[in-house]
Amino acid sequence: MARYAMVMDTRRCIGCHSCTAACKVNNELPTDIIYNPVTTVGPTGVFPDLHMSNLPLICMHCENTPCVDACPTGASIRRDDGIVYVDDPKCVGCLSCVMACPYGARVKNHDTGAVQKCDFCKDRVAEGKLPHCVKTCHQKARVFGDLDDETSEVFKLVNSSNATRLLGELNTEPFVFYIFEKR
Amino acid sequence: MKTKHQGWGWMLAVDFFFAGMGGGMLVIAGIIELFIGGGNTSLLGNILGPLFMCVGCGFLVLELGRPLQAWRVFMNPKAILTIGAWIMSIAIVSGFIYASFGIASDAIFWKDWTFFRQFFALVNIVTGLVVATYPGVLLGRHKGRPFWVGPGIMALFLLSSMVTGAAAHLFSGFLVSAPVSQEVLNNLPGLVAAMLFLQVVLWCGYIWIKLTGTTEAEAASAKRWLNGDLADGFKFLFLLMGTVLPLVMVLIPTILTQGIGSLLVLLGGVSMRMLVVRSGEDRTWLPGEQKYRARLPLGCEDFMKKVWDNK
Repeated sequence: MARYAMVMDTRRCIGCHSCTAACKVNNELPTDIIYNPVTTVGPTGVFPDLHMSNLPLICMHCENTPCVDACPTGASIRRDDGIVYVDDPKCVGCLSCVMACPYGARVKNHDTGAVQKCDFCKDRVAEGKLPHCVKTCHQKARVFGDLDDETSEVFKLVNSSNATRLLGELNTEPFVFYIFEKR
Repeated sequence: MKTKHQGWGWMLAVDFFFAGMGGGMLVIAGIIELFIGGGNTSLLGNILGPLFMCVGCGFLVLELGRPLQAWRVFMNPKAILTIGAWIMSIAIVSGFIYASFGIASDAIFWKDWTFFRQFFALVNIVTGLVVATYPGVLLGRHKGRPFWVGPGIMALFLLSSMVTGAAAHLFSGFLVSAPVSQEVLNNLPGLVAAMLFLQVVLWCGYIWIKLTGTTEAEAASAKRWLNGDLADGFKFLFLLMGTVLPLVMVLIPTILTQGIGSLLVLLGGVSMRMLVVRSGEDRTWLPGEQKYRARLPLGCEDFMKKVWDNK
Protein backbone atom coordinates (compact mmCIF):
# COMPACT_ATOMS: atom_id res chain seq x y z
CA MET A 1 0.00 0.00 0.00
CA ALA A 2 1.32 3.40 -0.98
CA ARG A 3 1.52 6.35 1.41
CA TYR A 4 1.20 9.50 -0.61
CA ALA A 5 2.94 12.69 0.41
CA MET A 6 3.93 15.99 -1.10
CA VAL A 7 7.02 18.11 -0.57
CA MET A 8 6.97 21.86 -1.15
CA ASP A 9 10.43 23.17 -1.87
CA THR A 10 9.97 26.86 -1.06
CA ARG A 11 13.51 27.57 -2.30
CA ARG A 12 12.24 26.85 -5.80
CA CYS A 13 8.78 28.46 -5.64
CA ILE A 14 8.67 31.84 -7.39
CA GLY A 15 5.04 32.58 -6.49
CA CYS A 16 3.67 32.42 -10.07
CA HIS A 17 0.37 30.85 -8.90
CA SER A 18 0.39 28.40 -11.82
CA CYS A 19 -0.52 25.61 -9.40
CA THR A 20 -3.49 27.60 -8.11
CA ALA A 21 -4.74 28.26 -11.62
CA ALA A 22 -4.15 24.69 -12.85
CA CYS A 23 -6.05 23.26 -9.90
CA LYS A 24 -8.89 25.72 -10.24
CA VAL A 25 -9.36 25.20 -13.97
CA ASN A 26 -8.92 21.44 -14.12
CA ASN A 27 -11.08 20.75 -11.07
CA GLU A 28 -13.65 23.29 -12.30
CA LEU A 29 -13.76 25.07 -8.96
CA PRO A 30 -16.17 27.94 -8.33
CA THR A 31 -14.73 31.46 -8.15
CA ASP A 32 -14.52 31.63 -4.38
CA ILE A 33 -12.90 28.23 -3.83
CA ILE A 34 -9.13 27.90 -3.92
CA TYR A 35 -7.57 24.60 -2.90
CA ASN A 36 -3.95 25.67 -3.02
CA PRO A 37 -3.19 29.33 -2.42
CA VAL A 38 0.38 30.57 -2.55
CA THR A 39 1.19 33.06 0.16
CA THR A 40 4.09 35.45 0.29
CA VAL A 41 6.17 35.78 3.42
CA GLY A 42 8.20 38.92 3.80
CA PRO A 43 10.15 40.79 2.74
CA THR A 44 12.01 40.49 6.02
CA GLY A 45 15.41 41.70 7.15
CA VAL A 46 17.24 44.97 6.68
CA PHE A 47 18.57 46.24 3.34
CA PRO A 48 20.64 44.89 1.70
CA ASP A 49 20.04 41.60 3.53
CA LEU A 50 16.39 41.20 2.53
CA HIS A 51 14.51 37.96 2.16
CA MET A 52 11.14 36.99 0.72
CA SER A 53 9.68 33.56 0.14
CA ASN A 54 6.55 32.00 -1.30
CA LEU A 55 4.61 29.36 0.52
CA PRO A 56 2.30 27.04 -1.45
CA LEU A 57 -0.52 25.84 0.80
CA ILE A 58 -2.77 22.85 0.32
CA CYS A 59 -4.67 20.25 2.36
CA MET A 60 -2.03 18.59 4.49
CA HIS A 61 -3.60 15.11 4.27
CA CYS A 62 -2.82 14.56 7.94
CA GLU A 63 -2.24 11.26 9.68
CA ASN A 64 -4.27 12.45 12.69
CA THR A 65 -7.17 14.06 10.91
CA PRO A 66 -9.21 16.48 13.04
CA CYS A 67 -11.54 17.02 10.07
CA VAL A 68 -12.39 13.33 9.68
CA ASP A 69 -12.87 12.96 13.44
CA ALA A 70 -15.23 15.95 13.49
CA CYS A 71 -17.42 14.85 10.57
CA PRO A 72 -20.78 13.63 11.95
CA THR A 73 -21.89 11.98 8.71
CA GLY A 74 -18.80 10.01 7.74
CA ALA A 75 -18.47 12.09 4.56
CA SER A 76 -14.86 13.00 5.36
CA ILE A 77 -12.75 9.98 4.67
CA ARG A 78 -9.06 9.17 5.05
CA ARG A 79 -7.96 6.31 2.82
CA ASP A 80 -5.26 3.84 3.77
CA ASP A 81 -2.92 5.51 1.27
CA GLY A 82 -3.32 8.75 3.23
CA ILE A 83 -5.54 10.67 0.82
CA VAL A 84 -8.24 12.60 2.68
CA TYR A 85 -11.32 13.47 0.66
CA VAL A 86 -15.00 14.38 0.96
CA ASP A 87 -17.65 11.93 -0.21
CA ASP A 88 -19.96 14.61 -1.56
CA PRO A 89 -23.34 12.82 -1.38
CA LYS A 90 -22.84 12.15 2.34
CA CYS A 91 -21.87 15.74 3.23
CA VAL A 92 -24.60 17.87 4.84
CA GLY A 93 -22.52 21.05 4.99
CA CYS A 94 -22.40 21.33 8.78
CA LEU A 95 -18.92 22.93 8.53
CA SER A 96 -17.58 20.86 11.44
CA CYS A 97 -14.61 19.86 9.32
CA VAL A 98 -14.07 23.43 8.09
CA MET A 99 -13.81 24.63 11.67
CA ALA A 100 -11.72 21.64 12.78
CA CYS A 101 -9.07 21.98 10.07
CA PRO A 102 -6.19 24.08 11.44
CA TYR A 103 -4.90 24.73 7.92
CA GLY A 104 -8.04 26.30 6.42
CA ALA A 105 -7.97 23.70 3.67
CA ARG A 106 -11.71 23.14 3.44
CA VAL A 107 -14.36 25.40 1.97
CA LYS A 108 -18.10 25.31 1.59
CA ASN A 109 -19.53 25.36 -1.91
CA HIS A 110 -22.51 27.68 -1.57
CA ASP A 111 -24.13 26.30 -4.70
CA THR A 112 -24.16 22.66 -3.59
CA GLY A 113 -24.21 23.23 0.17
CA ALA A 114 -21.39 20.71 0.64
CA VAL A 115 -17.78 21.12 1.69
CA GLN A 116 -14.95 20.68 -0.82
CA LYS A 117 -11.22 20.17 -0.50
CA CYS A 118 -8.09 19.02 -2.28
CA ASP A 119 -7.98 15.25 -2.75
CA PHE A 120 -4.49 15.09 -4.30
CA CYS A 121 -6.36 14.60 -7.64
CA LYS A 122 -7.05 11.02 -6.54
CA ASP A 123 -8.55 10.02 -9.88
CA ARG A 124 -5.36 11.04 -11.67
CA VAL A 125 -3.20 9.39 -9.06
CA ALA A 126 -5.17 6.15 -9.56
CA GLU A 127 -4.16 6.31 -13.22
CA GLY A 128 -0.52 6.79 -12.29
CA LYS A 129 -0.54 10.50 -13.12
CA LEU A 130 0.57 13.44 -10.98
CA PRO A 131 -1.85 15.93 -9.39
CA HIS A 132 -2.51 18.97 -11.59
CA CYS A 133 -0.62 21.35 -9.31
CA VAL A 134 2.51 19.17 -9.39
CA LYS A 135 2.34 18.60 -13.13
CA THR A 136 2.04 22.29 -13.88
CA CYS A 137 4.80 23.53 -11.57
CA HIS A 138 7.58 24.49 -13.95
CA GLN A 139 9.99 25.19 -11.09
CA LYS A 140 9.60 21.65 -9.69
CA ALA A 141 8.78 23.20 -6.35
CA ARG A 142 6.13 20.54 -5.71
CA VAL A 143 7.18 16.92 -5.47
CA PHE A 144 4.56 14.21 -5.11
CA GLY A 145 5.05 10.51 -4.55
CA ASP A 146 4.88 7.42 -2.44
CA LEU A 147 6.57 7.79 0.92
CA ASP A 148 6.77 4.01 1.29
CA ASP A 149 8.92 3.79 -1.84
CA GLU A 150 12.47 4.33 -0.65
CA THR A 151 13.64 5.10 -4.17
CA SER A 152 11.14 7.92 -4.67
CA GLU A 153 12.22 11.55 -4.69
CA VAL A 154 9.62 12.39 -2.10
CA PHE A 155 11.09 9.80 0.28
CA LYS A 156 14.56 11.23 -0.12
CA LEU A 157 13.42 14.81 0.40
CA VAL A 158 11.29 14.01 3.44
CA ASN A 159 14.17 12.14 5.00
CA SER A 160 16.62 14.93 4.31
CA SER A 161 17.56 17.02 7.28
CA ASN A 162 15.61 20.13 6.32
CA ALA A 163 12.08 18.86 5.62
CA THR A 164 9.58 20.19 8.13
CA ARG A 165 5.84 20.35 8.77
CA LEU A 166 3.58 23.37 9.25
CA LEU A 167 1.95 23.69 12.70
CA GLY A 168 3.68 20.49 13.74
CA GLU A 169 2.96 21.35 17.37
CA LEU A 170 -0.72 20.53 16.81
CA ASN A 171 0.17 16.86 16.40
CA THR A 172 -1.90 16.39 13.26
CA GLU A 173 1.12 14.83 11.49
CA PRO A 174 0.65 16.40 8.07
CA PHE A 175 1.90 14.52 5.02
CA VAL A 176 2.76 17.69 3.17
CA PHE A 177 6.32 18.65 3.99
CA TYR A 178 8.16 21.92 3.50
CA ILE A 179 11.75 22.69 2.72
CA PHE A 180 12.81 26.20 3.66
CA GLU A 181 15.97 28.02 2.78
CA LYS A 182 18.51 27.81 5.59
CA ARG A 183 19.43 31.31 6.70
CA MET B 1 -7.10 42.83 8.81
CA LYS B 2 -10.37 42.28 6.96
CA THR B 3 -10.56 38.78 5.54
CA LYS B 4 -13.23 36.54 4.16
CA HIS B 5 -14.24 33.89 6.71
CA GLN B 6 -15.56 30.41 6.33
CA GLY B 7 -17.36 29.19 9.38
CA TRP B 8 -20.40 28.84 11.53
CA GLY B 9 -22.99 31.58 11.61
CA TRP B 10 -25.44 33.04 14.11
CA MET B 11 -27.87 30.14 13.81
CA LEU B 12 -25.42 27.76 15.42
CA ALA B 13 -25.00 30.23 18.29
CA VAL B 14 -28.78 30.29 18.73
CA ASP B 15 -28.80 26.48 18.65
CA PHE B 16 -26.17 26.43 21.39
CA PHE B 17 -28.26 28.88 23.41
CA PHE B 18 -31.58 27.06 23.19
CA ALA B 19 -30.05 23.61 23.57
CA GLY B 20 -27.93 24.73 26.53
CA MET B 21 -30.81 26.48 28.24
CA GLY B 22 -33.07 23.46 27.68
CA GLY B 23 -30.38 21.15 29.05
CA GLY B 24 -29.94 23.40 32.08
CA MET B 25 -33.69 23.38 32.70
CA LEU B 26 -33.75 19.59 32.61
CA VAL B 27 -30.89 19.36 35.10
CA ILE B 28 -32.46 21.82 37.54
CA ALA B 29 -35.89 20.19 37.34
CA GLY B 30 -34.29 16.76 37.82
CA ILE B 31 -32.24 17.83 40.85
CA ILE B 32 -35.26 19.49 42.48
CA GLU B 33 -37.34 16.37 41.78
CA LEU B 34 -34.81 13.98 43.32
CA PHE B 35 -33.57 16.06 46.25
CA ILE B 36 -36.51 18.31 47.19
CA GLY B 37 -39.50 16.43 45.84
CA GLY B 38 -41.84 16.15 42.87
CA GLY B 39 -44.10 18.95 41.65
CA ASN B 40 -41.80 21.74 42.81
CA THR B 41 -41.07 23.16 39.37
CA SER B 42 -43.70 24.62 37.08
CA LEU B 43 -45.26 22.47 34.39
CA LEU B 44 -44.50 25.24 31.92
CA GLY B 45 -40.80 25.13 32.84
CA ASN B 46 -40.73 21.36 32.56
CA ILE B 47 -42.28 21.51 29.08
CA LEU B 48 -40.15 24.45 27.92
CA GLY B 49 -36.88 22.58 28.66
CA PRO B 50 -37.24 19.91 25.95
CA LEU B 51 -39.15 22.36 23.74
CA PHE B 52 -36.21 24.78 23.76
CA MET B 53 -33.95 21.91 22.74
CA CYS B 54 -36.27 21.21 19.80
CA VAL B 55 -36.00 24.87 18.81
CA GLY B 56 -32.21 24.58 19.05
CA CYS B 57 -32.28 21.51 16.79
CA GLY B 58 -34.35 23.49 14.30
CA PHE B 59 -31.70 26.21 14.13
CA LEU B 60 -28.96 23.59 13.79
CA VAL B 61 -30.77 22.05 10.82
CA LEU B 62 -31.20 25.46 9.19
CA GLU B 63 -27.47 26.11 9.62
CA LEU B 64 -26.63 23.07 7.50
CA GLY B 65 -25.76 23.47 3.84
CA ARG B 66 -28.14 20.60 3.05
CA PRO B 67 -30.91 20.79 5.69
CA LEU B 68 -33.00 18.02 4.14
CA GLN B 69 -30.22 15.53 4.82
CA ALA B 70 -29.92 16.47 8.50
CA TRP B 71 -30.54 12.86 9.54
CA ARG B 72 -27.01 12.04 8.40
CA VAL B 73 -25.55 13.80 11.46
CA PHE B 74 -26.49 10.69 13.47
CA MET B 75 -24.20 8.47 11.42
CA ASN B 76 -20.66 8.79 12.82
CA PRO B 77 -20.55 7.73 16.49
CA LYS B 78 -16.95 8.94 16.80
CA ALA B 79 -17.88 12.56 16.08
CA ILE B 80 -18.75 14.93 18.93
CA LEU B 81 -21.60 16.41 16.90
CA THR B 82 -23.13 12.95 16.43
CA ILE B 83 -22.83 12.14 20.12
CA GLY B 84 -24.43 15.49 20.94
CA ALA B 85 -27.27 14.89 18.48
CA TRP B 86 -28.05 11.47 19.96
CA ILE B 87 -27.90 12.65 23.57
CA MET B 88 -30.03 15.66 22.76
CA SER B 89 -32.63 13.41 21.13
CA ILE B 90 -32.74 11.23 24.24
CA ALA B 91 -32.97 14.33 26.44
CA ILE B 92 -35.89 15.73 24.43
CA VAL B 93 -37.88 12.50 24.65
CA SER B 94 -37.05 12.01 28.32
CA GLY B 95 -37.82 15.67 29.07
CA PHE B 96 -41.27 15.51 27.51
CA ILE B 97 -42.05 12.22 29.29
CA TYR B 98 -40.97 13.75 32.60
CA ALA B 99 -43.07 16.87 31.94
CA SER B 100 -46.10 14.70 31.20
CA PHE B 101 -46.16 13.53 34.85
CA GLY B 102 -47.19 17.06 35.81
CA ILE B 103 -50.24 17.23 33.56
CA ALA B 104 -53.39 17.00 35.68
CA SER B 105 -55.45 14.86 33.35
CA ASP B 106 -56.92 11.40 33.69
CA ALA B 107 -55.52 10.57 30.28
CA ILE B 108 -52.06 10.65 31.87
CA PHE B 109 -52.60 7.36 33.70
CA TRP B 110 -48.92 7.14 34.64
CA LYS B 111 -48.81 10.43 36.52
CA ASP B 112 -48.67 8.69 39.90
CA TRP B 113 -45.86 6.28 38.99
CA THR B 114 -43.27 7.89 41.23
CA PHE B 115 -40.45 5.47 40.41
CA PHE B 116 -40.68 6.20 36.68
CA ARG B 117 -40.93 9.95 37.30
CA GLN B 118 -37.74 9.81 39.33
CA PHE B 119 -36.09 7.57 36.73
CA PHE B 120 -36.79 10.11 33.99
CA ALA B 121 -35.63 12.91 36.30
CA LEU B 122 -32.32 11.05 36.62
CA VAL B 123 -32.10 10.58 32.85
CA ASN B 124 -32.83 14.30 32.47
CA ILE B 125 -29.98 15.21 34.82
CA VAL B 126 -27.44 13.07 32.96
CA THR B 127 -28.50 13.94 29.42
CA GLY B 128 -29.18 17.57 30.33
CA LEU B 129 -25.66 17.92 31.71
CA VAL B 130 -24.21 16.49 28.50
CA VAL B 131 -26.34 18.80 26.34
CA ALA B 132 -25.34 21.78 28.49
CA THR B 133 -21.66 20.90 28.26
CA TYR B 134 -21.17 19.50 24.78
CA PRO B 135 -20.96 22.80 22.82
CA GLY B 136 -17.98 23.66 25.03
CA VAL B 137 -16.42 20.26 24.41
CA LEU B 138 -17.05 20.65 20.68
CA LEU B 139 -15.38 24.07 20.55
CA GLY B 140 -12.59 23.31 23.02
CA ARG B 141 -11.20 20.54 20.78
CA HIS B 142 -10.56 22.88 17.83
CA LYS B 143 -6.77 22.96 17.75
CA GLY B 144 -6.60 25.71 15.19
CA ARG B 145 -9.05 28.11 16.86
CA PRO B 146 -7.02 29.95 19.52
CA PHE B 147 -9.89 31.46 21.46
CA TRP B 148 -11.75 28.19 21.80
CA VAL B 149 -9.02 25.66 22.33
CA GLY B 150 -8.70 24.15 25.80
CA PRO B 151 -11.03 22.88 28.51
CA GLY B 152 -11.91 26.35 29.88
CA ILE B 153 -14.61 26.98 27.29
CA MET B 154 -16.39 23.83 28.48
CA ALA B 155 -16.83 25.26 31.99
CA LEU B 156 -18.10 28.56 30.57
CA PHE B 157 -20.74 26.83 28.48
CA LEU B 158 -21.83 24.55 31.31
CA LEU B 159 -22.18 27.47 33.69
CA SER B 160 -24.03 29.62 31.18
CA SER B 161 -26.40 26.76 30.36
CA MET B 162 -27.14 26.23 34.04
CA VAL B 163 -27.72 29.91 34.78
CA THR B 164 -29.97 30.40 31.73
CA GLY B 165 -31.83 27.21 32.66
CA ALA B 166 -32.36 28.43 36.22
CA ALA B 167 -33.47 31.85 34.98
CA ALA B 168 -35.92 30.26 32.55
CA HIS B 169 -37.35 28.12 35.38
CA LEU B 170 -37.64 31.22 37.55
CA PHE B 171 -39.49 33.12 34.83
CA SER B 172 -41.73 30.13 34.09
CA GLY B 173 -42.54 29.91 37.79
CA PHE B 174 -43.79 33.51 37.71
CA LEU B 175 -45.91 32.88 34.64
CA VAL B 176 -47.55 29.68 35.85
CA SER B 177 -47.33 29.57 39.58
CA ALA B 178 -49.81 26.82 40.41
CA PRO B 179 -47.61 23.75 40.97
CA VAL B 180 -44.48 25.64 42.01
CA SER B 181 -43.29 25.39 45.56
CA GLN B 182 -42.73 28.82 47.10
CA GLU B 183 -39.55 27.50 48.73
CA VAL B 184 -38.08 26.64 45.33
CA LEU B 185 -39.19 29.95 43.88
CA ASN B 186 -37.60 31.78 46.81
CA ASN B 187 -34.28 29.98 46.42
CA LEU B 188 -33.90 30.13 42.63
CA PRO B 189 -32.95 33.86 42.56
CA GLY B 190 -30.10 33.19 45.00
CA LEU B 191 -28.88 30.32 42.82
CA VAL B 192 -29.08 32.47 39.68
CA ALA B 193 -27.20 35.32 41.39
CA ALA B 194 -24.47 32.98 42.65
CA MET B 195 -23.97 31.50 39.19
CA LEU B 196 -23.92 34.96 37.60
CA PHE B 197 -21.21 36.04 40.03
CA LEU B 198 -19.24 32.91 39.18
CA GLN B 199 -19.75 33.69 35.50
CA VAL B 200 -18.15 37.12 35.88
CA VAL B 201 -15.17 35.60 37.69
CA LEU B 202 -14.71 32.78 35.18
CA TRP B 203 -14.99 35.04 32.15
CA CYS B 204 -12.51 37.57 33.53
CA GLY B 205 -10.12 34.71 34.28
CA TYR B 206 -10.62 33.14 30.87
CA ILE B 207 -9.94 36.36 28.97
CA TRP B 208 -6.91 37.13 31.13
CA ILE B 209 -5.45 33.65 30.64
CA LYS B 210 -5.96 33.88 26.88
CA LEU B 211 -4.46 37.36 26.86
CA THR B 212 -1.33 36.20 28.63
CA GLY B 213 -1.57 32.77 27.05
CA THR B 214 0.84 30.41 25.46
CA THR B 215 0.60 31.63 21.89
CA GLU B 216 0.43 34.99 20.13
CA ALA B 217 -2.72 33.83 18.35
CA GLU B 218 -4.48 33.32 21.70
CA ALA B 219 -3.47 36.76 22.91
CA ALA B 220 -4.62 38.35 19.64
CA SER B 221 -7.97 36.57 19.84
CA ALA B 222 -8.50 37.78 23.42
CA LYS B 223 -7.71 41.37 22.43
CA ARG B 224 -10.75 41.31 20.15
CA TRP B 225 -12.87 40.90 23.31
CA LEU B 226 -11.24 43.78 25.14
CA ASN B 227 -10.49 46.36 22.45
CA GLY B 228 -11.58 44.88 19.15
CA ASP B 229 -14.82 44.32 17.29
CA LEU B 230 -16.25 42.04 20.01
CA ALA B 231 -15.52 44.44 22.88
CA ASP B 232 -18.83 46.35 22.84
CA GLY B 233 -20.88 43.16 22.75
CA PHE B 234 -18.79 41.57 25.48
CA LYS B 235 -18.67 44.50 27.87
CA PHE B 236 -22.10 46.04 27.33
CA LEU B 237 -24.40 43.23 26.20
CA PHE B 238 -22.92 40.24 27.98
CA LEU B 239 -21.12 41.54 31.07
CA LEU B 240 -23.26 44.58 31.96
CA MET B 241 -26.74 43.83 30.59
CA GLY B 242 -26.58 40.04 30.68
CA THR B 243 -24.66 39.37 33.89
CA VAL B 244 -24.08 42.25 36.36
CA LEU B 245 -27.46 43.97 35.99
CA PRO B 246 -29.52 40.77 36.34
CA LEU B 247 -27.31 39.73 39.27
CA VAL B 248 -28.53 42.82 41.11
CA MET B 249 -32.10 42.59 39.86
CA VAL B 250 -32.78 38.98 40.84
CA LEU B 251 -31.67 39.77 44.39
CA ILE B 252 -34.39 42.43 44.73
CA PRO B 253 -37.36 40.38 45.98
CA THR B 254 -40.11 41.59 43.66
CA ILE B 255 -41.65 39.65 40.80
CA LEU B 256 -41.04 42.53 38.37
CA THR B 257 -37.30 42.88 39.01
CA GLN B 258 -36.72 39.15 39.20
CA GLY B 259 -38.74 38.57 36.03
CA ILE B 260 -36.85 41.24 34.09
CA GLY B 261 -33.59 39.98 35.60
CA SER B 262 -34.37 36.47 34.34
CA LEU B 263 -34.97 37.74 30.82
CA LEU B 264 -31.72 39.71 30.93
CA VAL B 265 -29.88 36.51 31.89
CA LEU B 266 -31.23 34.96 28.70
CA LEU B 267 -30.03 38.00 26.74
CA GLY B 268 -26.58 37.47 28.26
CA GLY B 269 -26.63 33.79 27.35
CA VAL B 270 -27.48 34.32 23.71
CA SER B 271 -25.08 37.25 23.29
CA MET B 272 -22.25 35.24 24.86
CA ARG B 273 -22.77 32.42 22.38
CA MET B 274 -22.94 34.84 19.45
CA LEU B 275 -19.63 36.35 20.51
CA VAL B 276 -17.97 32.99 21.13
CA VAL B 277 -19.04 31.58 17.77
CA ARG B 278 -17.89 34.76 16.03
CA SER B 279 -14.54 34.62 17.79
CA GLY B 280 -14.01 31.28 16.02
CA GLU B 281 -13.26 33.29 12.87
CA ASP B 282 -9.76 33.60 14.29
CA ARG B 283 -7.58 30.75 13.20
CA THR B 284 -3.91 30.12 13.82
CA TRP B 285 -2.82 31.69 10.55
CA LEU B 286 -0.13 30.12 8.43
CA PRO B 287 2.77 32.35 7.30
CA GLY B 288 1.50 35.00 4.90
CA GLU B 289 -2.02 33.55 4.84
CA GLN B 290 -3.80 36.47 6.46
CA LYS B 291 -2.29 38.89 3.92
CA TYR B 292 -3.23 36.55 1.08
CA ARG B 293 -6.84 36.19 2.19
CA ALA B 294 -7.18 39.92 2.80
CA ARG B 295 -6.44 40.46 -0.89
CA LEU B 296 -9.23 38.15 -2.04
CA PRO B 297 -12.29 39.96 -3.38
CA LEU B 298 -14.73 40.74 -0.61
CA GLY B 299 -18.20 41.97 -1.41
CA CYS B 300 -17.98 41.47 -5.17
CA GLU B 301 -18.65 37.72 -5.22
CA ASP B 302 -21.73 38.08 -7.43
CA PHE B 303 -19.80 39.99 -10.06
CA MET B 304 -16.92 37.48 -9.93
CA LYS B 305 -19.34 34.56 -10.22
CA LYS B 306 -21.07 36.17 -13.21
CA VAL B 307 -17.75 36.72 -14.98
CA TRP B 308 -16.47 33.25 -14.12
CA ASP B 309 -19.68 31.49 -15.18
CA ASN B 310 -19.65 33.34 -18.51
CA LYS B 311 -16.01 32.70 -19.21
